[in-house]
Amino acid sequence: MADLSVNLCGVTLKNPVIPASGTFGFGREFDEIYDISCLGGVATKGIALTPWGGNPVPRIAESSGVILNAVGLQNPGVEKFIAEDLPWLKGKTRVIANVVGRTMEDYEGVCERLNGLVDFLELNISCPNVRCGGMAFGIRPENIEEITARAKAKCPSTPLIVKLSPNVESIPRNAQAAERGGADALSLVNTFTGLAIDIERRRPILANNTGGVSGAGIKPIAVRMVYEAAHAVSIPVIGMGGITCAEDAVEFLMAGAVAVQVGTQNFTDTRACPKIIAGLNEWCDAHKVARVADLTDTLQFNG
Amino acid sequence: MREIRATVLENKRIADEVYSLTFAAEEEIVVRPGQFCMIGVGGFPLRRPIAVCKAEGERITVCYRLKGGGTRALAREYKTGEKLSVLLPLGNGFYVKESEKKVAVVGGGVGIFPLIAAIRAYSKHKQVYAYMGFRGRAAVCMEYEMARGEKLVIATDDGSVGFHGTSVQAFMQDVDEIKPDVVLACGPTPMLRALKSAMHGRNIPVYVSLEERMGCGIGACLVCVCEKTDGAHARVCKDGPVFEINDVVL
Repeated sequence: MADLSVNLCGVTLKNPVIPASGTFGFGREFDEIYDISCLGGVATKGIALTPWGGNPVPRIAESSGVILNAVGLQNPGVEKFIAEDLPWLKGKTRVIANVVGRTMEDYEGVCERLNGLVDFLELNISCPNVRCGGMAFGIRPENIEEITARAKAKCPSTPLIVKLSPNVESIPRNAQAAERGGADALSLVNTFTGLAIDIERRRPILANNTGGVSGAGIKPIAVRMVYEAAHAVSIPVIGMGGITCAEDAVEFLMAGAVAVQVGTQNFTDTRACPKIIAGLNEWCDAHKVARVADLTDTLQFNG
Repeated sequence: MREIRATVLENKRIADEVYSLTFAAEEEIVVRPGQFCMIGVGGFPLRRPIAVCKAEGERITVCYRLKGGGTRALAREYKTGEKLSVLLPLGNGFYVKESEKKVAVVGGGVGIFPLIAAIRAYSKHKQVYAYMGFRGRAAVCMEYEMARGEKLVIATDDGSVGFHGTSVQAFMQDVDEIKPDVVLACGPTPMLRALKSAMHGRNIPVYVSLEERMGCGIGACLVCVCEKTDGAHARVCKDGPVFEINDVVL
């Protein structure tokens, strides 16, 4: 039995496996299938200052090895989250509240309201599916630094994770911008902007036209980006992008991640996260790794 | 709601482009008419949401149309004895009050299959009138199951079998005579729209089962929403798939 616990910004996670924001709601539905207290944490559905309705349907499409989604950050708003979801979720596992907004003030407002109430805040400045806000703040390094600094000023008691977009010129520069802004950790990658076409109708499948690509097919790109980010900053990195099994999670850890998030695979296999946790334990035992934390950043590049 | 590893008992073509898949769950599963399941197909990231047609103890039957790569792979690769990952039972299903004795079901396309579950359940204690629409003769299937009630009208778009026209047109010819207490419907959106407009002002509750592209199937991801008439979004998989017809925008 390996020690699966990891330390993220001074907070202990019982294991490094976290369902990714947007695939898991606030955990209630999955808890009907398995006890979610087995998870290292839960990254919640994006939370805005006020309720958001999201995009028209269809909001999802599929392509080989990947899916595209354009949900548009539908969410009940921060007050309803605090009143109804947080009391239920708190104490079961670490709560990573994903924060979304249309303006700088939106992000500040949610961070201020949740400061001290959750284990982590995850700043979503990388959603490709909303027209204003979202990814608009997450493309250019100067914007990333500014929004991170302003958000961090509002949540001094809660570690702030900045979730980076892969749809950018330079991952290392953006990672460093978030670090300069005061981020306590980074998470990446969010989805890649994509387009899936219904060739009979000569129209996009998604009502939003484009959507965020996720799933097994993006994994090698995500691993490369996590490696780049982790080696550009000194704050911890949470890796994600196409993880389907424990071996995939090990890749991200070796590339430099301290913990991992699992998204699309929750749809393919409802029990994906507990299976990956069990698989990590088996992998560590089989490879005589006493602590899963010892895997982080152990990749050796060819000379 | 649970995730099971089921064993395929039978997976066969029953009409043009339509397959019937029967699998054995590990144990008896109670499924309400109108509930559905999410079936995993190897190599495809998304499970396929498919309505339950028959549930007899641990034997569950679903019927599906060959639509894309996923349903084609389901038909091709899941022979008798193969294992299937299935999430079920999902959604709210139909609800007919004790006092509602006359039930009309109006279906079209693959929408007839959840209605077969309703006919099977309600024909034991109630009068069920079924109006089922198909493109033409080659699409007609499961007549025996549809005929369990008081009356069955098969409608075809090309008139090759039964009533020449849609199931909604066939139903509206009879509605004043049978005076149903409640109507259950499932089918393509244009069909549901026609039913909504035809039933407007009649003061008979109409429940529709909606179809939408889904992600998780259990209410977490907010992918499969529909718009309610009050402007809110409802989750088709968890709050539905069955809604009162006047509560949703079609």
